[in-house]
Parts: sequence; structure tokens; C-alpha cells
Amino acid sequence: MVTLALSKGRILEESIPLLERAGIVPEEDLAKTRRLIVGTNVPDVRLVVIRAADVPTYVRYGAADLGIAGKDVLLEDGGEGLFELADLGIAVCRLMMAAPIDEASRGIARSWTRLRVATKYVRITERYLAAQGIQADIIHLYGSMELAPLVGLADCIVDLVSSGRTLAANGLKPVEHVLDVSAWLVANRAAMKMKYEALRPVITCLTKERGT
Amino acid sequence: MRRDRWLLPVGVEEILPPAARHAEQVRRQLLDLLDSWGYDLVMPPLVEYLESLLTGVGHELDLKTYKLTDQLTGRLMGLRADMTPQAARIDAHYLRRDTPVRLCYLGPVVRTRPDEFGGAREPWQIGAELFGQSGPRADAEVLRLMLALLECAGFSGLHVDIGHVGVYRALARDAGMDAPVEQELHEALRRRSHAEVDAILAGLTLPARVDRHLRALIDLHGAQAEFAAMEALLAEAGPKVQDALADLKAVWRAVDQAHPGITWHFDLAELSGYGYHTGAVFSAFVAGYGQAIAQGGRYDEIGHAFGRARPAVGFSADLRLLLKLRNEAAQAPPAILAPCRDDEALRAKVRALRARGERVIEVLREGAEQDKDTGCDRELIQQNGRWTVVARH
Repeated sequence: MVTLALSKGRILEESIPLLERAGIVPEEDLAKTRRLIVGTNVPDVRLVVIRAADVPTYVRYGAADLGIAGKDVLLEDGGEGLFELADLGIAVCRLMMAAPIDEASRGIARSWTRLRVATKYVRITERYLAAQGIQADIIHLYGSMELAPLVGLADCIVDLVSSGRTLAANGLKPVEHVLDVSAWLVANRAAMKMKYEALRPVITCLTKERGT
Repeated sequence: MRRDRWLLPVGVEEILPPAARHAEQVRRQLLDLLDSWGYDLVMPPLVEYLESLLTGVGHELDLKTYKLTDQLTGRLMGLRADMTPQAARIDAHYLRRDTPVRLCYLGPVVRTRPDEFGGAREPWQIGAELFGQSGPRADAEVLRLMLALLECAGFSGLHVDIGHVGVYRALARDAGMDAPVEQELHEALRRRSHAEVDAILAGLTLPARVDRHLRALIDLHGAQAEFAAMEALLAEAGPKVQDALADLKAVWRAVDQAHPGITWHFDLAELSGYGYHTGAVFSAFVAGYGQAIAQGGRYDEIGHAFGRARPAVGFSADLRLLLKLRNEAAQAPPAILAPCRDDEALRAKVRALRARGERVIEVLREGAEQDKDTGCDRELIQQNGRWTVVARH
């Protein structure tokens, strides 16, 4: 039995066509079903659909053998003990630092000394700012990051940006490009050693069909 | 009263009856097994000066080690987080023999943070080290011992992953990479990230042959049937790579003969513990658990730090984890209830039973029924003037 963990949300939407091109069709509509474990047309391949941030945990401890997770989630998690097999080229977006338009035009983050940054991605942001030599207080939020600078909670934010419309609607402007993000195929280390024969066809199909 | 007063720290646990009794029995069996292979038990201290505890080991172990100040000297001491360097120190400093030395150990180690989710911060490390002998024979002996130990602890259907860091080391040396690039490549290989490996190699100008081999390495893993194909792919690599492959094959042959039931997986890109491993590396897995349950390998350099480099190969495992995975329902032990009576004949009978290995529990208060709730399956009663053991109902 091969268990593949999929991240809810945008990654799921883009994973399903990829899976179908790879010949793996879920038995139920993943967007509608309430079941947490769903079989596929391939015997011994099943899917679990979980929150994106949980995928590394499931895969690390072998609850799922393979997983599809965003590079943002993998970096934030640390990815320790996981095999990051391939960039699937789907769910592409960018992790950006954004600030209110007037601040942004006055010369970006570097002019602040103790920057207050609101983000969901604490580890990535810490590492990025440290590499830039910027001292910062990181404010961990779970959503609606754009609000933080507007209400004076933070000077700027680090968040995923795909079109940039949400930023613009809230008077924010990207100032720094932190990271290119896309969905990766990850594997449990022990599963790769114990049941590589079963995993190999799934891995080969998925990486062959990766987006461009 | 605060209820959280009785909570143990995260990753710390106690073992209660009857599981503790079972754990101790397993512990003794495993130590007897190590002894029967000629491995001498050492009992290194739980606390040592930091310098000797962390000499010659990686940064990772430093982070895992609790530090405290010695009030007598002001020097920093550490709680051991790994017993392997202690065994190496003992071999290098105290034993100073030129012949092979076989050491084993079992004891708690303390970690600042759990290795993994649900991981212990106070694992019981059990392991064995063979110093002073290089070559596949010694590697095979240690791997066979590791498997014998796991089998003794009740595991079957083991999967063994085997690799050799010498392959990557030799290829990296041929490529003449500087240390930071090599570190980056090694990280990318450890995560099996094709894209990153390709990107790093694309940034270097390597001879075509070396480049091809380094690119191929990431996929050089699979069942034993595929080992020949791996060898073929590396056929043009230098003599060091060939030596490593020959070593690996010799280890596998020797162990496979002794343990035909093992499922093998060869992995030439396996680089965990790359910081200190120098040769064959191996780990054992069981179905249903997503991490290795025992691991080991060759680490010939560690003695350097103690002024006496000796070939070394060893393995270790966490006995707490092994017990947890086996999850054997520990039974309350059989016992005999002895009545509360000042009777020399009874005392003699109790002594005799205990000398025979029986567990005898004496009632403390005459006539106190609740004192008899001791889980005894038998009791001593007087029949025809003699004390006799009969079944309890």
C-alpha cells in the first residue's frame, strides 16, 4: 500500500490534473468528499488530503509514504529526514516581503533597524532577514497578513504572492523577493528503503508529468 | 494543589510495573548476547568535561548536549548525548591495545531536544564498537551482531539499508570541489533533491566522467538485484570508488549468508552521519515504523581527537524504542503469598523458595484481607504440619 498525502487548497486543485495525467484517478471527487482517505484506480495507491503544513509531518513519520507540499511549507518545517525528490512545477508563486506603498517607496526594509515583520513563515523570514543582516521582531500570524501593517501591528509582511491583487487592494507593495515557491514531491526515508519497488512507479509517473 | 507538578518534561518517561520488569529482562538478555560475542561491557560516566565529550564529533551533537558548570573547577561539563565517543575515548586512552578491542555499552543518554516527533530525550543507548580492525570482515561482524541483537529483542522481517560513504567521498575528491560546495552538494544528496544536485553541478565545470557519476549517484539505490547495475554505472570511476564497492559487496555477502531472511536495500547516496562516517553505513528498519530502529557504520577518524586514530566500526539503538515497538504485553510475574506468622519452618520455606528464584510476598498484618491483594497466583498454607504451595483462587 502506497499512501500519498496531498495539501488542501491550491496545491490540491493543481495536483489532481497532474495525478490524472500520471494515470492515478481518485475514486471520489476530492474537492467534495468528506472522507479523509480516498482510494484510486491504481490498486494499492491511496490518497490522504490534509492541511498543507501537516504534509511534512505525515511523511516524516511514515503515516504517508509520499507527499506533495509547497516549498514554503518544506522550508518552514525544516524538511529534516524527508527526501525532497522533485519540483513538480505546480502551484507556482512567490514568497515576498511587502510594505505599505509610501514606506516601500521611501527605500525598503533596509532602512529600518528593528523591523517588525508579520508572517506565517517564521523560520524562512528569520533566516532570510538574518542573511540580509536585518534585525527584526517576527510576529507570527496565521492569516490575513495584509492587515498587520494597516493597523500598526507590523512594519511589513512576508507572505505568498501570486497575482499581487490582495496586496494592492490593501495599499501594500512588494519590496523584496524572498523565495520562489512551487509544489514538491517528498518521500519518507524509511519507505524509500523498505518499499522502493512499490513507490518507484508512482514517483516516475509524477515526475515525468511535472508541470513546466 | 497544582496538578502539573507531577508531569514529566517533554520526551521523558518512566516505565512502571510490570513493563519495567520486562524491560529489565530484555536488557539482561541483550547484554548477555553482546557478552557472548566477546564484547566487553564498559560503563562510561553520565557526566564529563565538555572537551572530552564533544571532541571529534559534529556540531549536531554539541547542540544535543546539556551543559553545566563544574562548581569545583569552573569548567564546563556535559551530560552525554551519545556514548560512542566515550567508548572511543576509553579505547584510545585507557586500553591502548594494538589488537582489536570489542566494547559494548548500555545506558541512558540525555538530549536537549528530542531527535524526532515523539522521540525520547532520555533514550537508553545500547551499542557495540569494534576498534582496531579495518575491512569488510569487521564491518560484517558488527552488522551481524546488530541483527542478532534485534532478533534477540524479538524483531523479524527486518529491512537493512546498506551504503558506503567512501563512494561519494572519492567522487567529491575527484571533482576537487571546495568545502562549502561539497557541503551544499552533500546536503542536496541527503535530501535526494534532483533539482538542487543538478543546479549545483551545473555551476561547476567538472570533467565529464566525474560529472556523470555525481549526477548518477542520487539514483544509485535499490534492491540487491540492482547492485550490479550500480557497479556498471560506476565502472569507470577511480580505484577508491571500486574499493568502496568491493567492500560493500563483501559486507553484504557475509551478512546475507548468516541472515538469509533480510530484505536488502543498497543505497550509495546514503550520507546520514556523513560528518564522521568513513566507510560502510547501515541501518535497520521494520515495517510500520518510519525511522531506522538501529544504525551503525565505520568511523575510522574519531580516535584522532584522542591522539590515537584507530579503525572503528559500531552500531547503536535506543532500547526504549525497541521495547515500545515490540509492545509486548508485560505480565505481572507469578508469585507466592506467604501468611503473617512467626514460624521458623515458614521462614525456612520462604528462603528456600526465594533461593529457587520464586517471588514470595509476605502478608504484613494478620487477617488483613486487603494485604492479600498482591497479584499472587499461589499461596503457602500449612498442610499436615508442613508448609506447602497451593494455587490461589
